[in-house]
Amino acid sequence: MKNKIIENVTIIYHTYKNIKNMYEYNTDDTQFLVERVDQFEKQLKRYLDGDLDDAKFKSLRLRNGLYMELHAHMLRVAIPYGVMNSRQLRALADVADKYDRGFGHFTTRQNIQFNWIEVAEIANLLRELSSVGLHAIQTSGKAIRNITADPLSGLTEGEIADARPYCELIRRWFNLHPEFSWLPGKFKIAVNGAKLDETALRIHDLGLRLLRNDKGELGFSVYVGGGLGAVAVIGAETASFVPVEDILSYLESVMRVYNLKGRRDNIKRLRIKFLVKELGAAEFSRLVDEDWKHTKNDPELKLNINHLVQLEKDFALPVKPLEISGFEEPVDFNYSIWRKNNVRAHKLSGYSIVNVSLTKLGSSPGDVTSKQMRILADLAGQYSSSYLRTTKRQSIVFPHVRKDQVFDLWQSLEEFSLASPHQGTLAQIVACPGNDYCDLAKASSIPIATRVQQRFDDMDKVLDIGDLNINISGCENSCAHHHIADIGLLGMKKNNVEFYQVTVAGETLDETVIGKKLGRSISGDEVVDAIENIVNVYLENRDEEERFKEVFKRIGLKPFKERVYG
Amino acid sequence: MVEDIEMTNVVNSKNESVQLVTVEKWLESIDSLSSIGAGVIVKPTDDVELLKDSLDKIAIIALDFNNFDDGRGYSHANLLSKRWEYQGEIIGVNAHIDQLQFMLRSGVTSYKLLDDYENIDDIDYSNGFSICYQAAANNSGLKEKF
Repeated sequence: MKNKIIENVTIIYHTYKNIKNMYEYNTDDTQFLVERVDQFEKQLKRYLDGDLDDAKFKSLRLRNGLYMELHAHMLRVAIPYGVMNSRQLRALADVADKYDRGFGHFTTRQNIQFNWIEVAEIANLLRELSSVGLHAIQTSGKAIRNITADPLSGLTEGEIADARPYCELIRRWFNLHPEFSWLPGKFKIAVNGAKLDETALRIHDLGLRLLRNDKGELGFSVYVGGGLGAVAVIGAETASFVPVEDILSYLESVMRVYNLKGRRDNIKRLRIKFLVKELGAAEFSRLVDEDWKHTKNDPELKLNINHLVQLEKDFALPVKPLEISGFEEPVDFNYSIWRKNNVRAHKLSGYSIVNVSLTKLGSSPGDVTSKQMRILADLAGQYSSSYLRTTKRQSIVFPHVRKDQVFDLWQSLEEFSLASPHQGTLAQIVACPGNDYCDLAKASSIPIATRVQQRFDDMDKVLDIGDLNINISGCENSCAHHHIADIGLLGMKKNNVEFYQVTVAGETLDETVIGKKLGRSISGDEVVDAIENIVNVYLENRDEEERFKEVFKRIGLKPFKERVYG
Repeated sequence: MVEDIEMTNVVNSKNESVQLVTVEKWLESIDSLSSIGAGVIVKPTDDVELLKDSLDKIAIIALDFNNFDDGRGYSHANLLSKRWEYQGEIIGVNAHIDQLQFMLRSGVTSYKLLDDYENIDDIDYSNGFSICYQAAANNSGLKEKF
């Protein structure tokens, strides 16, 4: 079967190779990546020769995605706005085998990390990636990071506009920006063009929401200063409508105010949210507008419409609407469960969007083996025009699967144990690596996730509970975004015992809400009982299809609190 | 006069030594300092906007890039060069070789490296790329893609 798939893929890949569904790097872009690797290789050599000190090298290597820990070095590779093709995923699988231990880890910001990299091999690794248009530029450090985008951009009905062409233009703009590469802190951007917000844009340093004004013109509303971490803040709207052609000059003004006025004296207050908070959102917006007056008519800062038009062509869907007659979904119990949770409607008739969950009992969410990467790349070639997307929930999306081939795809996924049917259910927990793997973490995450999954091992019950997010962060850095989950756990340590602070009813999809604290923190031994109690209060109180947050809005915190703390 | 960076003079691109004063000193006696052809040293913490009204009197502006991670100097360079069209020399002092391309593209017109970089070829770092993806104060020699 495996060989058969790989054979098929070769054929299918050639069939599709001239159809684009993304921006692919041209000769100039690839040359740029090579130049960047050459430069980093020189810096690395100076560091190893003792000619570049630790602090400066740290600043430079982070801007190339390289974290150096005592025993292992981690490299974060950008998957620009979560879009990639099969060829790129195969190259990532090769990197995992050749330079790591056969593993990769998809992150909550749609990137991929490798955890066991040898410093001496880094330049060769990056060179190999550059040949498929991948890189690690600005995936870390105090710079503008890879953009988070809706993983369903361009695919769903009712979307305002496909965000990807804008993401690509904004990505280019911040690539080694001469003025904004040495910021007070890291800077994360999210862009959403859909009605529902899958990107959680208001918890980003800067969030852009595509919208149309009364005249039908396209623009962005801009939110600045959101973030999780120890101080969770929802971004403030600094502009209700910036025409798309003016977005780069507006972004420059935001960055300039932050670069000049952001806190650099206190390591805990480096992010833009602290500046916005200290100045007040109104004053911050006024400073941005004041700066913007000088630049908004600068022709060089207008968005290049020719580039935009070309990118809209590059990102055009690789498939056309399809009339499939006489097709009926096969009757199969497991398939229908999987389909209910993992398959969504595509805006084109005849196609579906398929979500592949990588979550497995006892493993770190987002972990993927090189073998799985190749299988996913092959299956995407066979069933989804060779394109894939990564998501905030650390899963993989096959964007364009023919409706009459979804069952075949499911069978192949099933064969390779990739058909977990719990996309979006409480069994698909988002968890950081926790103190088993991370030096910063105060408490464990994955073992708690495993115990929750064991407690809810009855698939009928899981499906009955339905759409419910549980996110577990091992410390205040909040890597698992516990503040915006239906049920969030924040790990901490008291007298050497692990405790968890529970928050409920956070969300970002319809509106951005930071979860409410349930009460005093709960010990690791009791936390799974607490989760079960919270779920039971939800089930006992829900009407029909009511979701967790709707029940919470109606009944409030008290019933949950009473049940958990008795 | 400028205690923390131990520099009171800078050599400009014509190989002349020019006396530098702080922003504070400059604002106290613009006319007399201008008459002796003084320049101004701007540290990352300075408010560069204070110089806006007397730019045409300043012989040279030195931006201090000593603190590797403090990026305010790049915005200072951009404002001076692009927005206020300062016509004199903008020299990046205490410069780091790995940041030359950022400095030069932001509007710095000449630079004086820190002594640490004596044996390293700065051409590699001031001109390491063939393409640029954004409008900046200076994109000369680069293929523009924006």
